[in-house]
Amino acid sequence: MTTPIDCRISRRDLILTSALAGAGAALGGARNAWAQQKGLDIWWWGEQELPGLQKFVDSSIAAYKDTTVKSMLQDTAVVISQFQTAAAAGNAPDIQYLWNGIYHMESVWLGYLKAMNGLVKDDIIKASKPTILSHFGGNIYRLGWYPLPMFWCYNKVLFEKAGLDPENPPKTWDELLTACDKLKSSGVDAIGGGIQDGYWSEWYISHSLVQNLDNFGEMVQLFIGDKDFRDPKYHEHWVKLEELKTKGFLNKDMSSLELYPGIDLVVAGKLGIGQTVGTRLPADSKATGGKIGYMVMPVFGKGKLAGMPLVDMQGLGISSNAEDPAAAAAFLEFLNSPERLKAFWDTTGWLPSNTTFDASVIADESVRTMWQKWGLAPNISNITNLVPGQWYERAAIPTGQKIVAGEISGEQAGELASDVAKEWREFNTDMVDNYRKWADDLAKM
Amino acid sequence: MVMKSALRLQPYFYVLPLIVLLAFVFGYPIVRIFEFSFKMVRGVDGPWIGLRNYELVLSQGLFWESVLHNLQLLLAIPAMIAISLLVSILLYERLPGWKLYRIIVFIPFILAVPIIAVVMKRMFQFSGPVNEVLRWFSLDFMALDWIGSSNVALWTVMILIIWRESALGIILFLARLMSLDESILEAAKLDGATWRQRVWHIIIPQMRGVIEFFAVVSVITMLAAVFAYIFIMGGGRGGPGTATMVIELYIFNALIRTSLPGIAAAASVMLFLVSVLLIFPLFSARRRARAEEVGTQQ
Amino acid sequence: MISPGNIIKQAVLVFSTFLALVPTLFMIMTALKSNEEYAIDKLGLPQAPVLDHFRDVLIDSPFIGWMTNSLILVLGAVILSAVISCIAAYAIASMEFRGRDWLLATSTALMAVPPVVMIVPLFVFYTQLGLISTYAGAIIIYAGLITPFSVYLLTTFFRTIPKELFEAARMDGANSLQILWTVVLPVSLPAFVTLIIVNSLYVWNDLLIAIIFLQDDAKRTLMAGISIFQGRYNNQVPLTMAGMVIASAPMFILYILFQKHFIRGLMSGAVK
Repeated sequence: MTTPIDCRISRRDLILTSALAGAGAALGGARNAWAQQKGLDIWWWGEQELPGLQKFVDSSIAAYKDTTVKSMLQDTAVVISQFQTAAAAGNAPDIQYLWNGIYHMESVWLGYLKAMNGLVKDDIIKASKPTILSHFGGNIYRLGWYPLPMFWCYNKVLFEKAGLDPENPPKTWDELLTACDKLKSSGVDAIGGGIQDGYWSEWYISHSLVQNLDNFGEMVQLFIGDKDFRDPKYHEHWVKLEELKTKGFLNKDMSSLELYPGIDLVVAGKLGIGQTVGTRLPADSKATGGKIGYMVMPVFGKGKLAGMPLVDMQGLGISSNAEDPAAAAAFLEFLNSPERLKAFWDTTGWLPSNTTFDASVIADESVRTMWQKWGLAPNISNITNLVPGQWYERAAIPTGQKIVAGEISGEQAGELASDVAKEWREFNTDMVDNYRKWADDLAKM
Repeated sequence: MVMKSALRLQPYFYVLPLIVLLAFVFGYPIVRIFEFSFKMVRGVDGPWIGLRNYELVLSQGLFWESVLHNLQLLLAIPAMIAISLLVSILLYERLPGWKLYRIIVFIPFILAVPIIAVVMKRMFQFSGPVNEVLRWFSLDFMALDWIGSSNVALWTVMILIIWRESALGIILFLARLMSLDESILEAAKLDGATWRQRVWHIIIPQMRGVIEFFAVVSVITMLAAVFAYIFIMGGGRGGPGTATMVIELYIFNALIRTSLPGIAAAASVMLFLVSVLLIFPLFSARRRARAEEVGTQQ
Repeated sequence: MISPGNIIKQAVLVFSTFLALVPTLFMIMTALKSNEEYAIDKLGLPQAPVLDHFRDVLIDSPFIGWMTNSLILVLGAVILSAVISCIAAYAIASMEFRGRDWLLATSTALMAVPPVVMIVPLFVFYTQLGLISTYAGAIIIYAGLITPFSVYLLTTFFRTIPKELFEAARMDGANSLQILWTVVLPVSLPAFVTLIIVNSLYVWNDLLIAIIFLQDDAKRTLMAGISIFQGRYNNQVPLTMAGMVIASAPMFILYILFQKHFIRGLMSGAVK
């Protein structure tokens, strides 16, 4: 029992190699037989943020007569890694759910996705608004599925109590500080949410860092090393967060709450101002009798993109493993038919991304005006979609968490961000050139 | 002749399924992590890049932070042993109600880690019941942000681990105590030895084997089996920030979240080598624990 | 017998027992409180117990589906591992063959290898084979992970069976499979009970493999489901606790019913 095992590794290898060859062959054979019944496979995500989407997918599959479609709802943590690994193995589904920006651009560079232009009708691509973050080298790689307007929300009742005008939320940073001060004196937590799971940190960057940028290419340059987070301009937003912290405006349990429960605090009238996302508005507005207001984050920055409404876009793409890309494209076009767009609204209570969608069906006043101000007016996409995964995990999330916990300053956050960007370049030498090309593309748009 | 060789081969037919299964689940992956660790893997394969992955991992602050956190968790082991010893020896005295106590103290080990982590996370929330109790006793300075503060979060996880894993220690130690030769204890009692003397000079020396075994098992737990604790308590990311990042989560993140299988493989190789080193102390501790028990029973 | 020393000892025991129970008590009491009551009173007994949260959990969250998935994996993995290790352990314990000690040593040593070490290649390999998000794929991994312990336990046990029993059966002309079936198995029930308890708990409680290898929402296990459920209802503590009560109920009930077997079983499975 105690004899050393290391000297036997080679013999064990021999046994397992032969054993594996057998097992692999058996399993491979089984799979091939199974794959022969043709049809379309779709891997998707979104039920997690938009309950009812499952119903829409199921009903669309049932209503689609041209071919059989098999769907699989993916887990949040693995949407990208599962698709990329499957694509590399030649087993990717025909249609794949794709988050915006880098979340599908890496797959584009690795050759896992087909360009939409030429496959799907041009007017449908255009109407679905896949955003500039789906463009690369003159091609478009996604179809927009549903929009995610991102904004700050506030509780109008608390605003009134604090002596603030509920119809005129703060527009500049100084106005925000004044508002927070008044909210605080009125006895409620002024601003915040829940940052324990980290997403609040990401959203904060989406709203704030963009204020000092002139175009999206500038964001990418921060990672490839042409620009640096140590430059005060690129970490001013973290300094601002630190200011909210040191002034005592953030809710005390922010570090131990998660994102959505944090937003619930605003709805429940326990927190003045928070960050939220459009899909929540219909329910939150209903729950409070229209007392949830929304605004663009108050402006401190001097970049050309400051003060613009933010709309992120979820989308669908066609994998390069698709045996019949035309059939996949046909199904995507079907999802964009007027009847399906209406069904999307009916089952999810949320808007599909298509400019031809008839928005007059929206009964809730605040949801309809929000859609006009965010969705249909000029808007920008979400810059955190340009962030490499490693930087997201190591910098985007920890910076906010640590500032909110009072552990680092805004400037130190800039240093951490800069160090992690450098680290990313070392870990992903093969990606840096792609990013550079992308930055050039984006700077021109 | 045919019969005879068939008979000689018979054992191999019996163990063949075992070999195939272990080769598939352990053998193949262990060989491949070595291969992957020398490659720049994208998707399912990639070019050879020598020791570059190891260089990157070993020069990354996050990796060392994770290692440090795993090592910090080792500090829980003395506390677990002390608690388990105290409770098991008291149970061994068979005070009234001891059978009921025994059933209850083992409950922590029955509850699944994810479940208990969820419960504890709510209890330790900043505005949760633990802090409420502390404020009640006017211990406001102790009402920390248990899971939200980077300085405290790992210690909170440790409290949870001690709470749950001590239950195993208690039961292991109690089983050993039950097999002790009671006549020596009785004799010592008659000689006027105090309780503390009996525990210190008679009971504990005879339990060295099982304590050692529990210690080694716990080392393996702390280094390589805390994923579920951390995943729930740390919000799925080893948070806040990277305050509860451990090696298992480092590997998970590299594979799943940042799509760097090569980096994950390099870290896996290092963890594997450490676990191989631990096999020998584990085996010898187990053998000694068994010998100890058998020795007293005879 | 009531000496001051004994009182202190009793007190220590009562206190530790209480600590061991606190989270369970908190979980059950909170589950019975309304949100409003919990907001005001986090510690007391529920004044007006409500069962709404249990109903909400069972209706709005697929707990039953998650439990079914976990049960399928437990049954599949535990049975597969029991059969394979039983036959192998029998051969190792009762027959002479080359490589026998080596096989047992290797298999036993694998107990100390952390599962996380295997996930990278298995994830890649499973993707190539199309085994991600299949019951069969996950069952094979689980069976593999629990088998070293099973083999170790059964071999140790089989070796304690008196040789005379084998001899007598062989005299009667039984072949080795018949001996396994008629002689060995009937006396090995305690070992199998231990095996089933330890292995079932391992598979039922696992989170790592479940998250990585069962990515289809419809195949989610109870533990993976919990990790999502708790995030979604983070600030509805009573609702979350109702979910946890439901999730822990099966094992809890089994423990109360078979506590002797559980305790004995988990002691021998300490290494897991």
